[in-house]
Amino acid sequence: MKLGKVIGVVWATKKVPQIHGCRLYVVQPILENGQDSGQPLVVADPKNIAAPGDRIVFVTNTDAAQAFDTGFAPVNASVVELVDDIA
Amino acid sequence: MIFAKVIGTVVSTSKDPNLEGKKLLLCKEVDHTGKPLNSYHVAVDAVQAGEGNFVLISYGSSARMTELTKNAPIDAVIMAIIDEVQITDPAKSAKKGTSEV
Repeated sequence: MKLGKVIGVVWATKKVPQIHGCRLYVVQPILENGQDSGQPLVVADPKNIAAPGDRIVFVTNTDAAQAFDTGFAPVNASVVELVDDIA
Repeated sequence: MIFAKVIGTVVSTSKDPNLEGKKLLLCKEVDHTGKPLNSYHVAVDAVQAGEGNFVLISYGSSARMTELTKNAPIDAVIMAIIDEVQITDPAKSAKKGTSEV
């Protein structure tokens, strides 16, 4: 998994049924010291864990679908944790 | 998922039978502000996207996780048409809606 910061929201009314009602965030991947690392991507938040401005942990590739109850969704990035602190 | 703009259609008469009836769209990858990146994807359209639409593409094996694309040799699917990208972080504030780009 990777660390990221939620820097925006994607609004999309027309989407596949598997992700209906699921928030889509613009996330800037960050290093452990908080510095930006690479290109922002879109991360699904099926469990409503995050909000704009939050630091998160997100999972990528096919495993991202496991964050959905059905385990069946065409996503390759999902929020799995809200980061309170990195000690 | 990545941001992309639909720039064309890939027309093909002879293809893998599992791709029958599926529209292949040529998509230019863009960043969260709509700026084109030098990368493209041929993706199956699962949301009736059209040329010029800003879309989200999911790639890898989870691209097969829709009713349309399951059990087919597919690694990229268009799974949403973007209405608007709202950048909330002041440091990253960019053009608000990429759909107007």
